[in-house]
Amino acid sequence: MASQSYELELFPNCKVTLALFDGVENCQDLKRCIMEGKVDAALLNVSMIIEPFQVLVSANKAFHVQQHGKMKTRNINSEILFNLSPTNNISESFKRFGVSNEDKSLLAVVLNDSNGEKLQRLTEQVEGTRIDMNQLKDFTDEAKIKKVYKIQDTELTNSTLLDAVICRMATKDAS
Amino acid sequence: MEPDGAPTSSVGQTCDVGKLIKQGAEARVYSTTFMGRPTIVKERFKKKYRHPTLDKKLTHRRTTREVTAILRCRKSGICTPTVYFVDYESHRIYMENIENSTTVRDYIASEQKETQETNPETLVSLAQKIGTLLATMHDNDVIHGDLTTSNMLLRQPVDSSSPVVLIDFGLSSVSGLHEDKGVDLYVLERAFLSTHPNTENIFEHILVTYRKKSKKSSDVLKKLDEVRMRGRKRSMIG
Repeated sequence: MASQSYELELFPNCKVTLALFDGVENCQDLKRCIMEGKVDAALLNVSMIIEPFQVLVSANKAFHVQQHGKMKTRNINSEILFNLSPTNNISESFKRFGVSNEDKSLLAVVLNDSNGEKLQRLTEQVEGTRIDMNQLKDFTDEAKIKKVYKIQDTELTNSTLLDAVICRMATKDAS
Repeated sequence: MEPDGAPTSSVGQTCDVGKLIKQGAEARVYSTTFMGRPTIVKERFKKKYRHPTLDKKLTHRRTTREVTAILRCRKSGICTPTVYFVDYESHRIYMENIENSTTVRDYIASEQKETQETNPETLVSLAQKIGTLLATMHDNDVIHGDLTTSNMLLRQPVDSSSPVVLIDFGLSSVSGLHEDKGVDLYVLERAFLSTHPNTENIFEHILVTYRKKSKKSSDVLKKLDEVRMRGRKRSMIG
């Protein structure tokens, strides 16, 4: 499937659409456009993503904090990037989980795109090809994920990498 | 209306959070799905008899302690449910529902019944798993606070490789004190021996494994002896 849409049980009117792009030539431009507020999507570094569930957990929390006026970043798209991070350092989360200038692929997260217009507009902005979401796992860099999330092999004897990541995302603001 | 202002529901009823499956003194536990995954929602309700500011602070602290303990245990290789989402506004923890599992409590009872022995090999091996788990947990300074055989799960089908899953960290804390660890073990001992008749040997195996696997075990076990000396109908002499 070229893109996948999800509904969140806790936010039934909110829709999350994921789309995978490869052969992207203009990540540097896209980054600039994001800063200028011209991109209504979160553009993620695919290598840090294991499965869509990871992104949905982040989006769920983003909707929750937005609803309660407790976002830590400027808008809900940047909040999705922030929620993926195991730490509370905002700029670090953008650096690690957002696209870098040299990236050739990206995972786009578009919110509340009921008629597909936002994704259409984004597809025009991205100089690359949209590919099937099933290919997501081909981009996942497990070694890098373990390093960034600081996951040791001890933990993985009784847990999946995904669960280890999700748990850290969910509990990072327990203090 | 419940005394805390929540909509009245009884166990088995479904409301917007999910299906209520347990009501405790501090929290209600619901069953639902989260992104299609079977999920438990643990909701700590307001205590109206407390000053609201204090209540909010305490409840928040309990919630954060619980999830911190879960993560800390996970990091050291202990099996726990995965936390999916913490709602600090309504004090709800959304976590993995370990389906197709049996409590260690039920498992012990069924093994004793099936084998007609008090110390079947399966329970000795289970005791070793528990002892190892507790040693790891305490070496990481996590105090569970409510160790019982109902708070330990085994995924089915149960075999020699099934890990013990530790749940319900609602009363947990972080402490390096041998006293706290000793009390933690004592709570399990009392719960164990009162729930499961004729299991003194099995429990002993837990402690033997604990002693072997934990780096600070001798001090903790010494404290356990001291704690046993305290309590009802016990002489405080000597």
